[in-house]
Amino acid sequence: MRDITKIYPNGVVANDDVNFSVERGEIRALVGENGAGKSTLMKILYGLESFTSGAIYLDGQRVDISSPHKAIDLGIGMVHQNFMLVPSFTIAQNVVLGSEPRKGSFMDADAAIRITESLAKEYGLEVEATARIDATPVGMRQRVEILKTLYRGADLLILDEPTAVLTPQETDDLFEAVRRLVNQGKTVIFITHKLVEVKEISDTVTVMRHGKVTGNVATKDVSEVDIARMMVGRDVFLQVDKAPQQRGKAKARVEHLGYISETGRPMLRDVSFNVYEGEILGIAGVEGNGQTELVEVMSGLKPATTGEIYVGDRQVARKNARQVRRAGVGHIPEDRLTNGVALEATIAENLVVDRYYRPPIAHASIMSPRVIRSQSEALMAEFDIRAAGYDAPMDSLSGGNMQKVVLAREFSADPALLIAAQPTRGVDIGASEFIHNQLLAKRDDGKAILLVSADLSEVMNLSDRIAVMYKGKITGVFQNSPDLTEEELGFYMLGIKEQTPEEMAQNM
Amino acid sequence: MPDGSAFYSTRQTDLIVKSKRKRFLLEFLRIILVVLIALGIGFIITLFVSDEPVAAFKALLTGPLPKISFEGGFHIKGINRFGNWMEESITLILLGLAVSIVFKAKQFSLGADGQLILGALAAGVVALYVDAPLPIHIGLALVAAMVAGFLWGLIPGILKAYIDVDEIVSTLMLNVIAIQFYQLVLVQWLRDPTAGFIGTPFFPKTAILPLVIPGTRVTIALFIMLASVFVVWFLMERTTFGYEIKVIGANRKFAEYGGVNTKRVIALSMAVSGIFAGLAGVHLSMGLLKRLTLNMSPGIGFEGIVVALLARNNPIGVLIAGLFYGYLRTGAQIMERSSDVTREVVLIIQAIIILLITAERLFPLFQEWWLRRKLSAELDSNVPEEEAAR
Repeated sequence: MRDITKIYPNGVVANDDVNFSVERGEIRALVGENGAGKSTLMKILYGLESFTSGAIYLDGQRVDISSPHKAIDLGIGMVHQNFMLVPSFTIAQNVVLGSEPRKGSFMDADAAIRITESLAKEYGLEVEATARIDATPVGMRQRVEILKTLYRGADLLILDEPTAVLTPQETDDLFEAVRRLVNQGKTVIFITHKLVEVKEISDTVTVMRHGKVTGNVATKDVSEVDIARMMVGRDVFLQVDKAPQQRGKAKARVEHLGYISETGRPMLRDVSFNVYEGEILGIAGVEGNGQTELVEVMSGLKPATTGEIYVGDRQVARKNARQVRRAGVGHIPEDRLTNGVALEATIAENLVVDRYYRPPIAHASIMSPRVIRSQSEALMAEFDIRAAGYDAPMDSLSGGNMQKVVLAREFSADPALLIAAQPTRGVDIGASEFIHNQLLAKRDDGKAILLVSADLSEVMNLSDRIAVMYKGKITGVFQNSPDLTEEELGFYMLGIKEQTPEEMAQNM
Repeated sequence: MPDGSAFYSTRQTDLIVKSKRKRFLLEFLRIILVVLIALGIGFIITLFVSDEPVAAFKALLTGPLPKISFEGGFHIKGINRFGNWMEESITLILLGLAVSIVFKAKQFSLGADGQLILGALAAGVVALYVDAPLPIHIGLALVAAMVAGFLWGLIPGILKAYIDVDEIVSTLMLNVIAIQFYQLVLVQWLRDPTAGFIGTPFFPKTAILPLVIPGTRVTIALFIMLASVFVVWFLMERTTFGYEIKVIGANRKFAEYGGVNTKRVIALSMAVSGIFAGLAGVHLSMGLLKRLTLNMSPGIGFEGIVVALLARNNPIGVLIAGLFYGYLRTGAQIMERSSDVTREVVLIIQAIIILLITAERLFPLFQEWWLRRKLSAELDSNVPEEEAAR
């Protein structure tokens, strides 16, 4: 791809004179922070986006890729971050969707299954051809996506942040599959911002920053720190410095909390813990073991079925989100870009959602545009939110800046208890470093912080204490110390070990 | 946040459509463009159906304007046509405002018809059965109509917000109930037995809206309409209720997460919408007809949807779009009267406008084309310099 420039209609330059190439049979990592332009560049290559100027060459021939159809004809396939599968179809149906094998004018269902199974076997991408998508785990859905592109004859596969949704085991499986694909002559472009993965899987790396390429290197020649520097443009500290803890009294008390979902499944079972002032309590666990529900119940989005939650001396277990916020709870939601912001609203409207109804913004239901403006501009400056103005629409921001809007709002509310759910998911290195430092600053300032994260190393780096959740229960509570290992926590995460109430009480 | 290097280059900031004013201008341009295309297509259709297409189209385009004549001294002709335009526009704007509030919350409502008719009924009952001096009598009738509209909007609002009844179905059904109830009351209790058709007696003088433009039926409903535009603008832009409506419309989950009581706001948005539909009922009954008649407003409630769509739910836009749409409708009636083209042709033009406006991608495509052209021109001018530098 030569001299590619892409300017969106709103004026954002996503790619600025980018040159990018990939050799046959290699695994090339494409890294960069959110909004650096990697996804845009790949969407151009796959024909999803048009480019403003530049040219694309394939095997030395200039090619015109104006639609994904043309890309597929040229042997280019893309696996998106958000899977594009039909949940109610079987895996085989999804694989052949759009170019189904036919028998007369009907789809040949047996052939579809046969094709899927033989492709799966050939590339070592194990799937159950007859299972419905909505009944299969995420790792398998991803393999289905890859099979889909292979079925359409892809030689060059673009994988857009494929590991973002995978567990460590699934990631290992994926890497193995990717290596096998390359051994069979395929070429892979691997978009990521996890540096560990870059080192592990890729042959060469292209680094992008602010729409430009800042480095093209062989992976073996550089360290993670080198790549991080190219991405961020300065030195990055991958480890956090933690001050000694000054623990105060219990700020939040969760007592025998139970929650039964709308479909009647018990998601939280007798969950009890305290969060102390000046403490980060980490909740570790494999995703889907009740952490999401715990956060939703504690932040007032769902009513607890049984049990009590106290913040200070206020009982908030069945209060609505506004009352919970008024009790001093801040909430950085897990699904920030769907629940934490409103894309069609302006930046200012996003920043004031927790405080628009009370002074100084509103008096007797009349809002002051002047105060909204001054508060928003102050927050945008403090949190370095880069946008055309406080009244710019939210969807004109890059993903990273949208994240900052959420952080600006929740940190500036100065909550006594801050619930941070997956705070660095989908966030680049520079921003994660910032978030971690902010969380630690709040802790040192005597606030109580509940950190829920599927990233075990994040939990272990930041937390003072760690509670492990398994199937809606707390199976262990630990003081964080250098002696505590990931393996040990892993036993509790998988439900192999469980503390007795007495053992747990020691660390409460 | 770390790293302060400039996010936008100067070239980019030049191209960013950043000020609200500019966005507003582009929006206005979009409407003009759409209307011109639709009129062009309409003219082509007229060519096929009319023997004198130019005259017919002239009637459509200039009919509603008053003509200044100097024959036998200075006087203005066709003031009644101008009046028709204003009368039509007042109804459309009030209905457009009503619908826009609901649309802003990303809800749907087809209930303006029912709210309008019950507003008219409430106003009519007050007009006929309450005895009060002029300003108070009108005031009472206005309040009655607003309350009727509010309550008739609150019903589908509550049904939608609290027990998840589809508002398209409920508002349509409630329209049927409202219209039948209106006709029942009219036939059973309110009708004037001496009249040759089904309708109430004329309202007393104290319950007829005072005239503003002589020679027309344009009453102080004009000012009620202008005040309503301001009220809706203020509601949406300056109050917490308006903020809540906007945020719910932008992302309901986000609103809930932020602590907005979304159910209450959704129910109320549909009720508040009913107030303005009720006022449209006042305009029809106390302004135009001065009595209640059996078929007062066949389907006009739905035209509010067109106006709100045209205006993208912006209250000032509703004012402009309502005037424009009213002009088109009045012009259509005049064209029908004064040429061989039937009203259906204008309905086709209206339909084309709605189609083009709802085609959301049309304008962004135009914008992208404009941007690309501008950029490539700029790049071309840069190339020689760079080559010279080498």
